[in-house]
Amino acid sequence: MIYKILKKDFAKKKIINSAVFLFIMLSALLMAAGTNMLIELSNSLDYLFEEASAPHFVQYHSGSIDQNEIVQWSAENSLVEKQQIGEMINIEGANTYINSSESEKDTVMDMAFVKQNESFDFLLDLNNQKIELDKGEIAVPIYYMQKRNLSAGDQLIIKNERQELSFTIKNFVRDVQMNPSIISSKRFVVSESDFETLKNNFGELEYLISFQLNNIEQLNNFNNQYSSSNLPQKGPTIDIELLQLLNSLTDGLIAAVVILISILLNLIALLCLRFIIILTIEEDYKDIGVMKAVGIFQSDIKKIYLSKYIIIALTASLSGYLLSLLVNKVFSKNIMLYIGSAPKTFIQSILALISALLIALIVIGFSLIILRRLAKISAVEAMRMGSTVNTISNKSRFSLFKNNIIPTNIFLGIRDVLIRFKLYAILFFVFILSTFIIILPMNFLNTISSSEMVSYMGMVKSDIIMDLRQSDNIQERFKEIQNYLKNDPDVEKSNSYITSKFEIINADGYRENIYLETGDFSVFPIDYIAGSAPLLDNEIALSYLSAEEQSKNVGDTLELIIDEASRTMIVTGIYQDITNGGKTAKADIRPDYETAVWYNININVNKNIKDKVSEYENIFNEVKIYDIGDYFMQTFGTTIDQLRLLMFTAVIIALLVTVLITSLFLKTLIAKDRSQIAIKKSIGISEKDIKIEYLTKSLVILNTAIIIGTIISNTLGQKIVSTALSIIGAPRIEFVINPLEAYILSPLIMITAVTVTALLSIKSIKEFSISDINAE
Amino acid sequence: MNNILETNNLCKTYLVNNRQYHILKNINLTVKEGEFISVMGPSGSGKSTLLYNISGMDKMTAGEVNFGGEKLSEMSENELSELRLNKMGFVFQQINLLKNLGIIDNIIISAYMAGHKNKDLIKDRALNLMKKTGIIDLADNEITQVSGGQLQRAAICRALINSPQILFGDEPTGALNSSAAEDVMQVFHDINQEGTTVLLVTHDVKIAAQSERILYMLDGNIEGEYIMDKYNYLEDDLKERESRLTKWLLNMGF
Ligand SMILES: Nc1ncnc2c1ncn2[C@@H]1O[C@H](COP(=O)(O)OP(=O)(O)OP(=O)(O)O)[C@@H](O)[C@H]1O
Ligand SMILES: [Mg+2]
Repeated sequence: MIYKILKKDFAKKKIINSAVFLFIMLSALLMAAGTNMLIELSNSLDYLFEEASAPHFVQYHSGSIDQNEIVQWSAENSLVEKQQIGEMINIEGANTYINSSESEKDTVMDMAFVKQNESFDFLLDLNNQKIELDKGEIAVPIYYMQKRNLSAGDQLIIKNERQELSFTIKNFVRDVQMNPSIISSKRFVVSESDFETLKNNFGELEYLISFQLNNIEQLNNFNNQYSSSNLPQKGPTIDIELLQLLNSLTDGLIAAVVILISILLNLIALLCLRFIIILTIEEDYKDIGVMKAVGIFQSDIKKIYLSKYIIIALTASLSGYLLSLLVNKVFSKNIMLYIGSAPKTFIQSILALISALLIALIVIGFSLIILRRLAKISAVEAMRMGSTVNTISNKSRFSLFKNNIIPTNIFLGIRDVLIRFKLYAILFFVFILSTFIIILPMNFLNTISSSEMVSYMGMVKSDIIMDLRQSDNIQERFKEIQNYLKNDPDVEKSNSYITSKFEIINADGYRENIYLETGDFSVFPIDYIAGSAPLLDNEIALSYLSAEEQSKNVGDTLELIIDEASRTMIVTGIYQDITNGGKTAKADIRPDYETAVWYNININVNKNIKDKVSEYENIFNEVKIYDIGDYFMQTFGTTIDQLRLLMFTAVIIALLVTVLITSLFLKTLIAKDRSQIAIKKSIGISEKDIKIEYLTKSLVILNTAIIIGTIISNTLGQKIVSTALSIIGAPRIEFVINPLEAYILSPLIMITAVTVTALLSIKSIKEFSISDINAE
Repeated sequence: MNNILETNNLCKTYLVNNRQYHILKNINLTVKEGEFISVMGPSGSGKSTLLYNISGMDKMTAGEVNFGGEKLSEMSENELSELRLNKMGFVFQQINLLKNLGIIDNIIISAYMAGHKNKDLIKDRALNLMKKTGIIDLADNEITQVSGGQLQRAAICRALINSPQILFGDEPTGALNSSAAEDVMQVFHDINQEGTTVLLVTHDVKIAAQSERILYMLDGNIEGEYIMDKYNYLEDDLKERESRLTKWLLNMGF
C-alpha cells in the first residue's frame, strides 16, 4: 500500500513534482555556485595581494615632489616598513591606438604608463608572475584585453604630432590597484628605457607615493600622520582596505545576487511543495482514513509521505551541486581572469557541497512541518466524507443564493479563492514576489536617473556644472572663468565652490581628514535631511556618514583645524552624499589652496542650457562642463545601464516564474477539480463559463497580489534600498515613481502574461467528460 | 404527438487498452413528447451509457440522435451545453452534486448560469421543489452534512430547476426508502402532467410499473418493450400493473 501510494503520487503529479525537483535543483546549484564564488574570491584575492605585495597606503600626487624629504620622513616613522615612489605618465586616449586605427579618444579611463615597481606593488601577468619587459614590449591591462579582444603579439601605438612609438603586446596586467573596471584609471607596463622615452615626449607625470607598514592595524594612525605632515598630497589617497573592497565589489555583489536568487527559488520550491502536500493529503484523505482505521501508526503514515520528499530534496540538491561543478567556471570566470586562482583547502572545497545540502535540509524540515496536519485527520470522518472540504467553515457566507449582482461564473471564481485560499496561497505569494521583483528595480532605476539624485549626492542644484582639472595654474584659470561669467548677460546666477582637504578633531581627540567644500551655500539650494545651510564662518554642514562617524547632530559643535588653529564650528545641517566615500562637509570659509582637490562652478542661465554648455566648452578647454542631465549620465551612466539590464533580467525572470507557476498551478488544479468540472459540463454549464471561472481565480489573486506587491516595494522596498544606500551615504531615498510604468505598464504585462498562460493551461477542460469520471 | 427524441442506429464503443467494447449496438429509439418511459435491464447492459449519449454528454461512435428535430452530431460543444442547460434535466446514478457548493446553491446554479434575469423567481422555484421533495429544511446545509437519500432529492431539484422539456433519471430513487421514493415519483408525475417527457432508468419494478412504456436492455440492445396505459395514481391499481410487468420481465429473462 505504501509503495502503491508513492507510485501513484509520482505518476499523477508528474509535472509539479518535476517542478519542485527543478526548483530545488536550481536553488542548490546557485547556492553552491554562489558559495564557491565567495570562497574563490576571498581565497584568490588574498593570494593575489600577497603575490603582488600590495601597498598599504598610496598617495597620488600631481605636481613636483622632493624625494629626499619623503625618504627621510619614512625613515623616521616607526610605522613604515617599506616606502616607494612610482611615476606614472598619463597619456591622452586620443594619442593611443590599441591594435586598431581608431584612437582611444572616447575611453572613460585614464591611461597611465608605468615601469615595473622595484620593491612592492608589483604588476603581475596572468600567471601571477612579475612582468619583465624588453624595449618595444608592453603589457596591457586586462580591462583592455577584454574590451579590445587582444592577444599577445598585437600592436599598441602611441603617437602625437612629433613622434610615434610602436609596442608589441607581450603580456596582460593583473593590477591590485586598478584591476576593477569601476576604477577609472588603468596601468600599462613598459620597459625602463621606453618609459624614459615616453616621459620625455608624452603626457603629464603623476607620482604614486606608496607605503607598506609594519602593522596593518596602524593604518588609520598612519593615514593621520601622513596627512598632518608636509609631504605632497595633491591628489587622492587609497589604502589596502579600499583596494580589497574595490577588488571584491563587483564579483562579491554578483555572488550575493546569485545567493539571493537561490534563496528566492528555494522559497518558490517550498511553496510548490506546500501546494503538492496539501493536494496530496486532500486526495488521499480517504486512503489515509482507511490506513488509520486499520491501525497503521500515525508516524508510519507520515514516513510514507516524508520519504518521498526526502528523496526529491536529496537527489535534487545533489544534482544541483554536481551541475554547479560544471558551471563554476562560468561564474568564476571574471575572478579567475582579474584575480587569478589559488590553491584551495579541503574545507573550502566541501563548503559548496554543504551549502547545497543545506537547501535539502530546509526542504525536508519544511515538509515535516506541513505534514503535521496529517495528525488532524480523523479516520471516521475521512472515510465518510472522502474529502477535506468540510473543514472549511462559513462557506454559506459566500452563498450563490445570496449573490444578486456579480455574474455567476465570476462569483464562483471569487468564492472559490476565498474558501480555498490555502490552496491558492502559492500563486498569491509568487505573484507578490514577481511584482516586487519587477517594480523595485524599476522604481530604483527611475529614481537614480531622475534629477532628484542631486539631493543624494550632496550637490548644489544648478543648470550647468563646471569641473576644473588640477593643473599648475588652476587658480588663475578659476579666476578667469569667474570673471567671464560675471560679465555674461545670459548668466542668471553663478557661484564657485572649492573642495579642499581639511582636518577635524575626531571623537578620540585625533586629527582626521575630511573633504570640505567651501563656498556660499545660500546661492544654490541643497537638500538637508536635518537642519539648514551653513552661513557664518563658524558654521558647518556634515554629510550623513560624517555625522554618523563623528556622532554629531544639528546643534552640536565640531573642532575644525584652519591654518593650524582650531576653530569651534556649529553643525547646522546634515545632508546625504554618496560621493567620495560619503564623508564630506560644507562650510562658508576660505578654501585651503594647498590641499584643494576640486574646483567647481555652478551656473544658472536664462538661455538654452545645451547651447551655453557648448559655448563654454569652446571658450574654456580643459574644463569639464556638463548640464545637469549629462552629469548624471556621466557619473551614473554605467550604473544606469547595468541597472537597466538588471531590470530587464528581473522582469524576464519574474515573468518566467509567473508563467511557469501559473501554468503548473492551474494544470494541477483542474486535474484535481476534474470531476467537479465534468459535473458542471454535464448539467449544461458551458466550457466558456468554466474557463471564465478559472481565469477569474487567477486574476483575482493576481490583482490583489499586484496591489500588495506594489505597496510592499514602495514601502519595504524603499526601506531596503535606503538601508543599503545608507552604507554609502544616502539613508533617505524617496522613490521617484513613473506611474505609467509602475502602475499601468507593469500590471498590464503581468495580467496579459497570466491571462494567456491561464487560458492555455486550462485548455484540457475540453476533454473532461462525465462518463470517464463515473467510470473511475 | 411529435417525437421529442429519436435515435437512429446509435452506437457507442469504448476503447480500453486497445480493445474495443461495443456498449451500445444500433439502438433505434423513439420518444414522444410527454411520454413517461422506464428503461430496465441487468447491470452493465448499457443503460447509463444510453442516457449519456442521447443527452449529448458523451460523443456517440456512430449513428444519430435527433432532439427536437436537430441532430446532436451536428451541434457544437456550446450548443450542446445550451441544450442540456435549458431543455434537459439529468439525475445521475452517482448523484454528482458539486462538492464546494451548499445544497441550495447546487440547485440554483444551473438557473443562474442559464442567465435568467429574475433571481427571486428562481429562488422561489427552488424552494418550492425542495418542499415537494421534502428537503426544504436542508437548504443551508453543506452536501457533506446530509444523507445519501437527501442528496439524491437535491439532485432531482437541480434537474428540474430550469423546467426541462425532458427529464433523464438514472436510478433517481436508488438511494431512497419507499415513502421518499413515492414523494419523488409524485413530483415526476406532476411534471409529466404539465408536459415534461420523463425517461427513467430503474431496477425497481414498482417504479417502472408507473410508466407507460418499459424498455428492456440487454448487452447494448433494446431487447423488447412493454406498453401500458398512462398511470393515474388516483385510480389505477399499482399492484396489478406490477404483476403484469413482472410477468413480462420474467419472460424477457430478467
Ligand atoms: N468510460 C468508460 N470506458 C470504458 N468502459 C465503460 C465506460 N463507461 C462504461 N463502460 C462500460 O460500459 C458498460 C455499460 O456501462 P453502463 O454504466 O452503461 O451500465 P448500466 O447498464 O448503467 O449498469 P448499472 O445498472 O450497473 O448502472 C459496462 O460494462 C462498463 O464497464
Ligand atoms: Mg448505470
